Amino acid sequence: MAEDAVAAVPTEPTTLRKPRIKKAPDLPILERRNWLIHLHYVRKDYEACKALIKEQLQATEGVCEYAVYVQALILRLEGKIQESLELFQTCAILNPTSPDNLKQVARSLFLLGKHRAAVEVYNEAARLNNKDWEICHNLGVCYLYLKDLSKSKEQLNLALQLHRQELSTMTLGKIHLMEGDTEGAIQTYLQALQLSPESTELLTTLGLVYLQNGLFQKAFEYLGNALTYDPSNYKGILAAGCMMQSHGDYDVALSKYRVAASSVPESSPLWNNIGMCFYGKKKYVAAISCLKRALYLSPFDWRVLYNLGLVHLSMQQYASAFHFLSAAISLHHGNATLYMLLAVALTYLEDTENAKSSYQQAASLDQCVNMMLLSIIYYLYLT
Amino acid sequence: MVYVDEIDVDQEGIAEMTLDENSIAQVARPGTSLRQATAKKHEGPSPAVRPVTQSGRPLTGFVRPGTQSGRPGTMEQAIRTPRTAHTARPITSASGRYIRLGTASMLTNPDGPFINLSRLNLSKYAHSPNLAKTLFEYIFHHENDVKNALELAALATENAQFKDWWWKVQLGKCYYRLGLFREAENQFKSALAHQDMVDTFLYLGKVYARMDQPLTALSMYKQGLDRFPKEVTLLCAVARIHEEMNNLTSATEYYKELLKQDNTHVEAIACIGSNHFYTDQPEIALRFYRRLLQMGVYNCELFNNLGLCCFYAQQYDMILTSFERALSLAENDEEVAEVWYNLGHVAVGIGDLNLAYQCFKLTLANNNDHAEAYNNLAVLEMRKNHVEQARALLQTSAALAPHMYEPHFNFACLSDKIGDLQSSYVAAQKSEAAFPDHVETQQLLEKLRQHFAMI
Repeated sequence: MAEDAVAAVPTEPTTLRKPRIKKAPDLPILERRNWLIHLHYVRKDYEACKALIKEQLQATEGVCEYAVYVQALILRLEGKIQESLELFQTCAILNPTSPDNLKQVARSLFLLGKHRAAVEVYNEAARLNNKDWEICHNLGVCYLYLKDLSKSKEQLNLALQLHRQELSTMTLGKIHLMEGDTEGAIQTYLQALQLSPESTELLTTLGLVYLQNGLFQKAFEYLGNALTYDPSNYKGILAAGCMMQSHGDYDVALSKYRVAASSVPESSPLWNNIGMCFYGKKKYVAAISCLKRALYLSPFDWRVLYNLGLVHLSMQQYASAFHFLSAAISLHHGNATLYMLLAVALTYLEDTENAKSSYQQAASLDQCVNMMLLSIIYYLYLT
Repeated sequence: MVYVDEIDVDQEGIAEMTLDENSIAQVARPGTSLRQATAKKHEGPSPAVRPVTQSGRPLTGFVRPGTQSGRPGTMEQAIRTPRTAHTARPITSASGRYIRLGTASMLTNPDGPFINLSRLNLSKYAHSPNLAKTLFEYIFHHENDVKNALELAALATENAQFKDWWWKVQLGKCYYRLGLFREAENQFKSALAHQDMVDTFLYLGKVYARMDQPLTALSMYKQGLDRFPKEVTLLCAVARIHEEMNNLTSATEYYKELLKQDNTHVEAIACIGSNHFYTDQPEIALRFYRRLLQMGVYNCELFNNLGLCCFYAQQYDMILTSFERALSLAENDEEVAEVWYNLGHVAVGIGDLNLAYQCFKLTLANNNDHAEAYNNLAVLEMRKNHVEQARALLQTSAALAPHMYEPHFNFACLSDKIGDLQSSYVAAQKSEAAFPDHVETQQLLEKLRQHFAMI
């Protein structure tokens, strides 16, 4: 420092003697450190990135668009959506012609749950660039949250026309399922599967849809595929185990469930299925223990209560069975089998009057299937 | 004169806990500290099955000082009164607990105090061993003047050529009272070299527990058990340490061992009972609680537990009578609230949601800080699709009990459903902090992170 000062003094007269033409001031380029910011960001080195952005914003008095943009992205990753939204809005003011900035503003609004506002901003962005599938896809998702299914489908189809990808097809399939159009859902999922044949989520969803439609062979195929790619997939295990159970393969199903139980120990459906496996193997005490744990984990699930009632009926503990079944009925009305089981329990408890009305209720709910069974039981116990 | 049991656990005050400089490691390795944060693996039933206290420790079956809240991480957490404890924590143990022992000295006698300590020639009395011991006990327990007691003990042990273990133990007690744990440790150890005593082992264990070295305390107790096999107090101390370290399976083993020696030990029976209850064996828990009843324990909590066990073991005829008895025996509003809370669970169990709703409301009427009841009410409101009420209730619950994961997780799910992902993310993170192994929280967080990372 001192040397510099010493050296500077003698040069002064020389500059005075020979006045040079003034060079244009060496203004720093605003974007000159963008590459570094980007590098830090993609390496997930957020601390360094934030420090750099702070420096850059101080130097440029807050007008460096890219720095603000990345800062907003980092804030969003930290879950501070509101602050991130404000920064994206700044970006949109700095560069109003970029559809990306508008897209991010809209996305922040979407994440904050303000779907209507998000739709407006997306529409604005679409005006700047109408060939962007992401805009169409996100519009579709927003409409889905606004419960406008037809518009949502329209936008998602548009997104798929612009670019075929998995995301939109998944959402589209979900909408089809919500509308009860399983055929359409299956078609959509199959299309998505062509794009990404190893997606376990797609495979399990497809398997489950087939399972609901009663196409066991196909369901098993897809679920099996899903399990080969990811053997500890909880959903897949549960569905596959359920199918094995329905074919009486209790030991195989139990070994599958064991895998799931170690990864998801607090799942009520899982414990329910394990309990029913034991029931199938005639190990009633173990079954009751598992079912009770399932009930402890989700006390509002009428299916668990139904199963508990069933197991207690076969244990000839009719009072307990009655309590479980009546709880199931008060949580879920309108299942004929529940009323029928209740009636059986009541008959054994020698309450013919209530048993009769329970049978009648069951009969009025389900006219065709159980009618035969019902009347036989009814007559057997009343005569 | 009431003789105070010095060995029994004493509760650490706020000042001792937050300004503690005795523990060696601030960030102890897992499994070596009593002061662990909530973020740790749970041995035995997970928090989804067994409720936890403020510090993330599973509820114990027996209320004793220190079981309720463990060691808090922050001042704020220390000051907050745990819901299940009846009194607030003393500010420091020196003022909170021991001042009562000194109250006898505060009564002014008309003829002046019985013994005027300041005018006593301690060195004279230290020379007569028999008198000195009595005098020491008077000063320590009745006058509660630790400094003079320490002086007398020091003189007396010197007079006994440092060969009397009794004086060393007393010195250790004084040092412990003054918070000089290392000195206390030395005295107790040297006393043990002269004479093996159960008391001394227990004091040493207590010192180590205060220095946050549970493993050393355990090995000390083990040594004690080698010299005095199957000693009840030592077994109990070991079980307590295991329980405080969340190792419920070994705690239960020691409690069982204890019961073999002393089959009327209330603490052991209650802890084993609650452990059975939370590991899906309500029938066996019922037998333990019935044993307590036969032994003459007759209070609200016991009938409350009996009622719950009866319900989960399907002894339907006994449930309501037990709860009725519990209600009639309840001594304060908090106990009434607990009984109504459990009745709410019974109502959920028989599917009568209206009754459940009213029970939880009654809980809140009796105890306005009942976080669990707020949470359960919120769940009931959610079932009726009353989103706003549910949100408000969950927020109240989360503010009252930040150590429970349920309100945070429910709030996260609710916010996720209505699309408010920011609140959902914040709540899910809190839920993760309270219960790191909760799979559903992890799944939700994963989903939210994907949302945030997508550009």
